[in-house]
Amino acid sequence: MIPLRQFLLALCLLSHSGMNHARSMDVVEYTRDIKPLLRQHCFSCHGALRQAGNLRVDTVVGMLTGGDNGTALQPGDFEHSAIWQRITDPQESTRMPAEGRPLNVQELSRIRTWISNGALRPELETPEADPREHWSFQPPVRTKLPPADDSITQLNPIDAFINSQLMQRKIEPLPIADPAILLRRVYLDLIGLPPDEEQLKAFQADPSPIAYAAEVDRLLASPAYGERWARHWMDVWRYADWHGRRGVPDVWNSAPQIWRWRDWIVDSLNADVGYDEMIRQMLAADEIHSTQPDSLVATGFLARNWYALNPNDWMRSNVEHTAKAFLGLTFNCAHCHDHKYDPITQEDYFRWRAFFEPLGMRQDRLAQGPDPGEFQRYNYLTLRKIVRTGIIRVYDENLAAPTWFYTGGDERNHQKAKGSIGPGVPAVFAQLPPVSPVHLPAAAWYPAFDPTIEKSIKDDLQAILDAKVARFAKAQNEHDQAPSELLLLRLELARMELSAARADVVRVQTQLSAEKAKLDATEQSIRPIEQEAKQLMSLARDAQEEVTWRNAEAAVLAARVAVAEAELLADSTPNRATTIETAQTQLTEATKKKSQLIVEKSESVELPALTPVYPKISSGRRTALAHWLTHRANPLTARVAVNHIWLRHFHAPLVATVFDFGRNGAQPTHPELLDWLAVELQESNWSMKQLHRLIVTSAAYQRASGGNVYAKWVTENEALDSENRTLWRANTGRMESEVVRDAILFCSQRLDGTMGGQELENSEALTTYRRTLYYSCQPENDGTSEFGRLFDAPDPSQCYRRTRTILPQQSLALTNSDFVHQLSQNLAHRISTQCSESTSFVDTIFRRIVARDPTPEERVACDKFLAESSIKEQSMERRAALIRVVFNHNDFITVR
Amino acid sequence: MPNRIKSVMPYLQQDRRTFLADVGWGCVGMALGTLLDQEARAESSVRGTQVVPPRAKSVIWVFLSGGYSHLETFDPKPALNKYAGKTFDEIPLENPLRSTLHHKRFRSVPAEEVNVRDVYPTIYPMQVGWSPCGASGIEVTHWWPHLGSCVDDLCFVRNMWTTDNDHAAENQFHTGRHRLDPVEPSIGAWASYGLGTINENLPKFVVLGGPTRTDTRQSIDANYLGPQFSGVPLAIDPKNPLPFGQRSAGHAAHQQAEEYALIAELNELTAVQYPDDAELRARIHAYELAYRMQAAVPGAVDFATETASTRSLYGLDNDATRVAGERMLAARRLVERGVRFVQVFPSDYGVWDSHQKLQENHTKLCASVDQPIAALVRDLKQRGLLDDVLVVFCTEFGRTPGLELRGGGKDGRDHHPHGFTIWLAGAGVKRGYVHGATDELGYHALGEGHYVTDLHATVLHLMGLDHRALEIPGRKRLEIDRGSVMAEILA
Repeated sequence: MIPLRQFLLALCLLSHSGMNHARSMDVVEYTRDIKPLLRQHCFSCHGALRQAGNLRVDTVVGMLTGGDNGTALQPGDFEHSAIWQRITDPQESTRMPAEGRPLNVQELSRIRTWISNGALRPELETPEADPREHWSFQPPVRTKLPPADDSITQLNPIDAFINSQLMQRKIEPLPIADPAILLRRVYLDLIGLPPDEEQLKAFQADPSPIAYAAEVDRLLASPAYGERWARHWMDVWRYADWHGRRGVPDVWNSAPQIWRWRDWIVDSLNADVGYDEMIRQMLAADEIHSTQPDSLVATGFLARNWYALNPNDWMRSNVEHTAKAFLGLTFNCAHCHDHKYDPITQEDYFRWRAFFEPLGMRQDRLAQGPDPGEFQRYNYLTLRKIVRTGIIRVYDENLAAPTWFYTGGDERNHQKAKGSIGPGVPAVFAQLPPVSPVHLPAAAWYPAFDPTIEKSIKDDLQAILDAKVARFAKAQNEHDQAPSELLLLRLELARMELSAARADVVRVQTQLSAEKAKLDATEQSIRPIEQEAKQLMSLARDAQEEVTWRNAEAAVLAARVAVAEAELLADSTPNRATTIETAQTQLTEATKKKSQLIVEKSESVELPALTPVYPKISSGRRTALAHWLTHRANPLTARVAVNHIWLRHFHAPLVATVFDFGRNGAQPTHPELLDWLAVELQESNWSMKQLHRLIVTSAAYQRASGGNVYAKWVTENEALDSENRTLWRANTGRMESEVVRDAILFCSQRLDGTMGGQELENSEALTTYRRTLYYSCQPENDGTSEFGRLFDAPDPSQCYRRTRTILPQQSLALTNSDFVHQLSQNLAHRISTQCSESTSFVDTIFRRIVARDPTPEERVACDKFLAESSIKEQSMERRAALIRVVFNHNDFITVR
Repeated sequence: MPNRIKSVMPYLQQDRRTFLADVGWGCVGMALGTLLDQEARAESSVRGTQVVPPRAKSVIWVFLSGGYSHLETFDPKPALNKYAGKTFDEIPLENPLRSTLHHKRFRSVPAEEVNVRDVYPTIYPMQVGWSPCGASGIEVTHWWPHLGSCVDDLCFVRNMWTTDNDHAAENQFHTGRHRLDPVEPSIGAWASYGLGTINENLPKFVVLGGPTRTDTRQSIDANYLGPQFSGVPLAIDPKNPLPFGQRSAGHAAHQQAEEYALIAELNELTAVQYPDDAELRARIHAYELAYRMQAAVPGAVDFATETASTRSLYGLDNDATRVAGERMLAARRLVERGVRFVQVFPSDYGVWDSHQKLQENHTKLCASVDQPIAALVRDLKQRGLLDDVLVVFCTEFGRTPGLELRGGGKDGRDHHPHGFTIWLAGAGVKRGYVHGATDELGYHALGEGHYVTDLHATVLHLMGLDHRALEIPGRKRLEIDRGSVMAEILA
């Protein structure tokens, strides 16, 4: 807030300079000088979105008509114009604008002059459009394709739209790019790796559209496609490995098992799982695929936002990023007040939050894997451990969790009087489908009922049993060899432990049978089963008592062994007396414990559950949200997805504001094309591979990006469309940081193609050779490698669109790093075995690294560079140097 | 951006911010600008937002991690000795725990309620003596003998406050945002973003001794301003000052020079082929700069040319003071060379955090920092740099006037966000001056006090920048993010 005194000072200045200035301000013009001011400061409350006090100031007529307090404007008389009074009100509480800074002296002066001069207005002034009519809130419609300009019958629909705009603007697009350039472009685009020499050679020999289409199919079928595009979606979906206080270590954010969500993304993309299904799984796999771990890991999308220290923060991230990622709406702006541009009220914000309110985090065991134990909750004084086993997932933990409205973006200001808010979507959109609670299958709320987990539990017991059997056999053997009192005691101990383990097997089996019978009895209300359940439970209890008793007995025996061992110690052993004393105390305690156990035995005991028990019902809220998002009638989901995909193919989006399709966002450059593709995505089962194929086989995608052969052409077109909005040429791209590293490894023939698994540490990023997406990605200092950071690695906190920098240090990384030195030396050796002549060496490394032949001038320069090394032994080092030079070539990092 | 730049970068379809991001580090942006209009404007602002004449060309921001006691450093309180051992309720002063300032200023991470962290009401006496220093008579404790003799050049702010009572306050001190809020760019990044370069062979924003830990990275990060505005950590090792800044083993200088020559030649050939590729031109320049930077950076942290008396001034000849001394000396060398913002962490992460054994802890740590920081002030002054360079000396929060009882504690103080002291020196600020105060117990910052962003606003103001004018469309900032300039301390 600007302090009152400053504001009053501004007013003073204004009135002093007042009359003198009026003349010089005569030229104030409403459309140019006044309306933009009002739009910026007043429209959000007094325009189409809201009409506070029933007043609209988006037209002069609106101001004259006024609102609840009568007319707001007295032309010629600023002092009696309500607008003037309110914007200059010395009382901060009633001064307009109600939020944001007060108008400054110049602005006030303009408004006063305009009113004094009679509040002149344009003849035709249209009020702001109804926000509900905003383009992106209308369902996309597949318009008829514009007619083609010539006889080409099989025109790609994308080209139909793009060519039509080019024709209208009389722009002649550039022709298809040189085959080598095109091939490298589509390889880097679809799989994030360049073509190898064989692939390049084959395509140069036959660059026909059929051969190109076959390449595209091959690339889309390659597992590397999933790795490439997973990284793009990891940007949009905010993938982050665990962080918090890594140095301690203390897990505060995300989870150590989150990488399974990354692998799920890769696998789902490779299997071409529909975008709609991916959204459904990420938001609600726990409700729709509740017993399938392969699908449950998708909820990593929500688990990633988890923040140990503050559940409210988790909720805020869930609200903000589901809305930005899937809907392209900035719900976060409605956290503290109604949205300033979009029809999203502050109440809508909390309705959206209510979808996530019941959430909790849960850790599940995987079949054949060790038990991760229960999810560790946050406690102010306890470190949160790194658990690497099992999966991390969300579930509805507390169905009754209230969603309180709060003001000022500060959760301390709960307005409990308003009551808890239920889930819902803004009124501008189609209704949310009914929210129906989901009754989970038993295996989902009690993992012990899952046959694979049951088996794992029994396997664990069997392993214990096996160990006890072995131990018993060993004790028996030792005793048989040379019987003694001590060895006899040890044998008895082993026998008792074995017997306890056996009893435990019986206990678990009986308990599980009892629990299953109880479940059947509840679900089917069959009396005899209920009886059976009771009997079984009683047996299980007996077994449990047996186990407890034998364990107590074993404890006594163990203490007796300890006493006997201590007594056998040589007299000279230091602390012999203390050792004996300790053992005897242990024996006394164990005996006492056992005797107390006998007293307790008659009590009926509640058996501890074999696994955690979770709620049997899930709210169904997130399922409803996911269905609403992926329903045909949702106007935004498909458009936002198409735009993200388009951006990554063309290095420029159709809608510049990729996470804001609201009224403050950008207009699409090709609205009909965007809509056509959105409907196409929806109607082709949301297949992303199909959309990629359509895009990369369009002529628009395949065009040349420029070059001096088209110099005149380019100059002419630039005069008409300098920003290439019409896509008359291809935009030049730059490799993302992951691609830089992966391509260096690939070109050096050292890329390790192993897929998936726990994230790797960035400290090893330059000495190990897996694809970059498998290295840790989180906002702490070790969440990015030094190398990656220089090439604009994604910000794991928010990266809907990458930044692209040109830094001197990038070149230092490419020339000085041991990584590049090592690889270039290896490559020099390898290639040199194939081609001894320097000319063929130059050709080979150009084809390998920049996927094209060197130009004659480049060849001369490189030959000269190699020749300058006269000493034989140095020639290999020189070749390695040339490889480094080519990695520093602009055309390596550039996607033409 | 100037139209002429735009005209050669037409097809990027990117807004002003992205364009500047594209050309990187600002220095490249300037190089490109220079290339295009043959007009070197090295010291002018890239953003054109310098609203007042800049007073400071550079800032040295010294941050002591862990929270030094404001009481035992620069805000000594006789009342603590007078009422030692009594509780807040047993003394004739107003009980600070009942102040409404708690709710107004304080947010807590573990719970929504304020005062959730244990509050210790038993007054713990001053652990060191103090006396008035210099002509100004400003009181400083006896743990700062060197700095005490410089007080006439310092400007203390004794009514700072912050809201986070955990060590995430270190990040908060640099970004202005509490841990519960979305992350904002750090103060150095704003300066780097707002200002042009003076020396294009060096980064504009350099970090020495940091980040202190992996999770304090955001204290030097540019966040949404773009990675090229983040702090560049330099090691004080002339052989290897920055990542990839040193030739690989066995890679001779002349070899590398030849490689760079060939890179330039090949890229120039490509430029002939793609005459309209502005990014390519920027990249050629960036690569030329890289070569020069590789030569310039080691010199900035190489003390070979420093005299014995300078080395001794900074305490390089003493084990206790060497680490901090090297960082302070490197900071001076960097600002001499035109680096805009040097963020110095003279001591490790959290070391000032004296829950126990405060006396032992602070005796040792003050001794490690006192001479080097005083040396920096003196050295800058004697070289005439103190008129152009602003030094800021700060920490994340103060320490409780009460004795910390946790774990049977008997000799330490807990975190205290409600009032603490920092100081500034040099360009544009008053000298030998104290601004603001805490109450008699050193508990609450009196008056409005200053949230950390007031310091940010002041620093940017002294560099000639207006926070508001730097803001990025679509990145909403709150009033508390912008802060207000501490007008009272301006010279």
